[in-house]
Amino acid sequence: MLPSKIILMIQGVESVQIRKGVAVTAAVTGVLVFGLAACGGGGGGETSATGGAGGGNEGQPVKGGTLKVIGSSDVANLDPALSYEAVASNLMRTWTRQLVTYPPSDDPQKATQIVPDAAETLPKVSADGKTYTFTVRQGVMWNTTPPRQVTAQDFVRGLKRIANPYKPSGGVSYYTSTIEGFQAYFDKAQKAGKTAAEIAAFQNATDIPGIKAVDDKTLQITLKAPANDFLNIMAMNFASPAPVEYDAYVPDSAELRQHTISTGPYQLQTYNAGRSMLFVKNPAWSQASDPVRKQYVDQIQLTFGQDSPDAVLQQLEAGTADLSWDQPVPTSAIPRLEGNQQFHIFPQSNLNPYIVFNLQSPNNNRALADLKVRQAINYAINKTAIAQIYGGMKIATAVNGAVPKGSAGFDASVAPYATSGDQGDPAKCKSLLAEAGVSNLVLDFPYRTSGNHPKVAQSVAADLTKCGIQSKLIATQASEFYGNYIQTVAKTRAGAWDIAGPSWGPDWLGNNGRTMIQPLFDGRNYADGSTNYGDYNNPEVNNLIDKAIMAKSAADAEAVWKQANAKIMADAPIAPMISINWPIYRSGRVKGAIFNTIGQGYDYTTLWLQ
Amino acid sequence: MSLTEAQAEAEHLPEQPPGVPGKGPWRLAWERLRRDRAAMISLAVIAVIVLLALLAPVFAAITGHGPQDQFPSEGVTPEGLPVGPSATFWLGADGLGRDLLVRMLYGARISLFVGIVSTLLATVFGVIIGMVAGFYGGWVDTLLARVLDVVLSFPYLLVAIVLAAVYGAGLPLLIFVIAFFSFAAMARIVRGQTIAYREREFIEAARSLGAGKVRTMFVDVLPNLIAPVTVLASLLIPTSIVFEATLSYLGLGVDPRTPSWGAILYEATDYYRVAPGLLLFPALMLLITTLAFNLLGDGVRDALDPRADRR
Repeated sequence: MLPSKIILMIQGVESVQIRKGVAVTAAVTGVLVFGLAACGGGGGGETSATGGAGGGNEGQPVKGGTLKVIGSSDVANLDPALSYEAVASNLMRTWTRQLVTYPPSDDPQKATQIVPDAAETLPKVSADGKTYTFTVRQGVMWNTTPPRQVTAQDFVRGLKRIANPYKPSGGVSYYTSTIEGFQAYFDKAQKAGKTAAEIAAFQNATDIPGIKAVDDKTLQITLKAPANDFLNIMAMNFASPAPVEYDAYVPDSAELRQHTISTGPYQLQTYNAGRSMLFVKNPAWSQASDPVRKQYVDQIQLTFGQDSPDAVLQQLEAGTADLSWDQPVPTSAIPRLEGNQQFHIFPQSNLNPYIVFNLQSPNNNRALADLKVRQAINYAINKTAIAQIYGGMKIATAVNGAVPKGSAGFDASVAPYATSGDQGDPAKCKSLLAEAGVSNLVLDFPYRTSGNHPKVAQSVAADLTKCGIQSKLIATQASEFYGNYIQTVAKTRAGAWDIAGPSWGPDWLGNNGRTMIQPLFDGRNYADGSTNYGDYNNPEVNNLIDKAIMAKSAADAEAVWKQANAKIMADAPIAPMISINWPIYRSGRVKGAIFNTIGQGYDYTTLWLQ
Repeated sequence: MSLTEAQAEAEHLPEQPPGVPGKGPWRLAWERLRRDRAAMISLAVIAVIVLLALLAPVFAAITGHGPQDQFPSEGVTPEGLPVGPSATFWLGADGLGRDLLVRMLYGARISLFVGIVSTLLATVFGVIIGMVAGFYGGWVDTLLARVLDVVLSFPYLLVAIVLAAVYGAGLPLLIFVIAFFSFAAMARIVRGQTIAYREREFIEAARSLGAGKVRTMFVDVLPNLIAPVTVLASLLIPTSIVFEATLSYLGLGVDPRTPSWGAILYEATDYYRVAPGLLLFPALMLLITTLAFNLLGDGVRDALDPRADRR
């Protein structure tokens, strides 16, 4: 029924987090718009230690067995230059490697600290903070016949493929906005031919000034300006190396999918598009060359086509499958599963959903341009009720600042419109509206018809009714919601919407202002496709964003991001609501499971089967 | 109802000569219908449902729960599951903490309203178009009959989804869509009947007396069509109610805050394992209502069939 597989509507439950690159905006970042699931559970943002399957106390790792993963849909993209789905990033970890990566860890603090992967060590950074020199690790091999050492040139090829004209990567703006000359290369590449031969010819003939393979082992990347989060960008799967063999294929084509070349502990042996994937051990991989991954299970078998979250859970409970691929734990099952050793809830960091105000709306005599009105609505919302829709306060955490816990700039003291028990304060809302001198507001409120969004819209509308604000609910499909309403400048200016409840999750945790505050609140690049939906633009905030990204270290940046958070909330361009954590169930034989926050699932390369 | 009034009047006329009472066709039909127990029970059930729908505000006042009022603290557990039937929520609450009973009763209003209004619309247009096509014949008939064929061959659900996507869902659209896809069947039957009557002697008599075409159609043909039209209309009502439920279930119905049976059923799919009542009660209500209309329609058909007595 829905136009793309991106949003899966299954029994009113949306599938896992999906990222959607919005490559339109000139600068900023890759962007991630997700439809997170209707999941509920027990755990919670405050209790970050809920997770932890406890790799240490489950005995010695056992080798062997087939890990059975079941779910609904095939990957959207298999090519590491293009793959931009949370679940797929978990799979990427089994067969691709990057220069740097995140270590498997249940400690959120540790899990966000970049470690070397296919690089020998963390790169040498020049004194001006602009030049990064990586040394490729000896022994990282392509599983070609015979196996071949991965070279610096392979990383250059990998980075160039991000900008291929056939299907540019959704994450391309991370690279064009940081690396010297990448934007010009991207623009030129878009005009080149789109056949495999033409793409390869262009890539091999055109250099990116800021990316240089000094020799087989040394890769030098020069940035336009210092960026303390550049290693986070290099840890994304887009920055995977690409072997020379990929020159023969159009990126992410069916042929390429049948001829993937692996550097990780597993390789893709059989791929039936839309039905199944079988990964087997990669003989070219050696434990000595990989500080982060293990190779315990013999095979990883993925089976798609399981469209019911309930059915998936039943199979996991029966032990006929081990892990869910993209199906969430059904909200209604969570109370029953609490306390079960195989069930955990892991903290996440997102604004999912939040309310964004259209600051340009001409409706209601431009009432939403009035700070007091926006503050009033901030007070009105019953965040506990919103959390209940997703399974209660254990599964969702109320957010009172512009940044959720776990992301750069989070500050528990930035909560200017917090209400008692997060239940909303209609009286405060009314009095602020009276101060603002507005009455009889009628807000156009488009909502997505998938998942829990209709319930969220109704709940917010009921809160607004309590302080005398009427809302007109407009049913839209997810693509329409973004493309036809809140991401269209003309519609936004014309007042096609007044408030809306989009969802946002950062591409990585920790030092992530570039993928959290900047895309939502940087007012300088407002255009069609912008994720600063309501056209918020405060020069002070914009300056803080620049200052934070160019700060010497992540720690220095953190303080600046906090200032930005406080400034933003004082302006109230959004009404934050909740951050949704991730409930997950595994079969009894899965041991040593470590949650991978970016992949929203257990790391396949650290677990073993009993 | 003029039918019953006429009958009541007839019964109280003492001047009526004993022996052979003169019974009109309507009276005969009503007597046949009265002997049909299933039809009479259905009629009673429909009356009760209509009454309950009319009394919805009373229930809202007694429980203190408006149809759109949400009670997230009382109606929903902290984990977000709807509470079951209790003294506060007689049939339980839904996922947003709204009173299921109150919503179902208000939902009955929407369902009955949509069912009856769209059936009326479909009947009016179906009868006019069917009669014109059948009576005039020739190119008019060919044209209209082809249009009906096209309408009947539309995949209605797809069209409804597209229309809702383009024009936005809402009650008027809902009624229009349902009426649009129901009128063709009505028109078909009326057209066939009209063609049959067109050649009958009494029409010829009317014509030879100088009656115009329009007069002949409405005065001479139309009364003869009342029986088949009534039967079809009574069967269209439940179809329309189910259609409304289907569209609302697909999220194409009215504002999600407005209670309708389809919308309630749709919301229940998230919770049916933990709160089966959320699915069961509105589904039963839908079943009973459509069954009652269907049985009543069957009864009306039998009652209006003059050959029924000769069984």
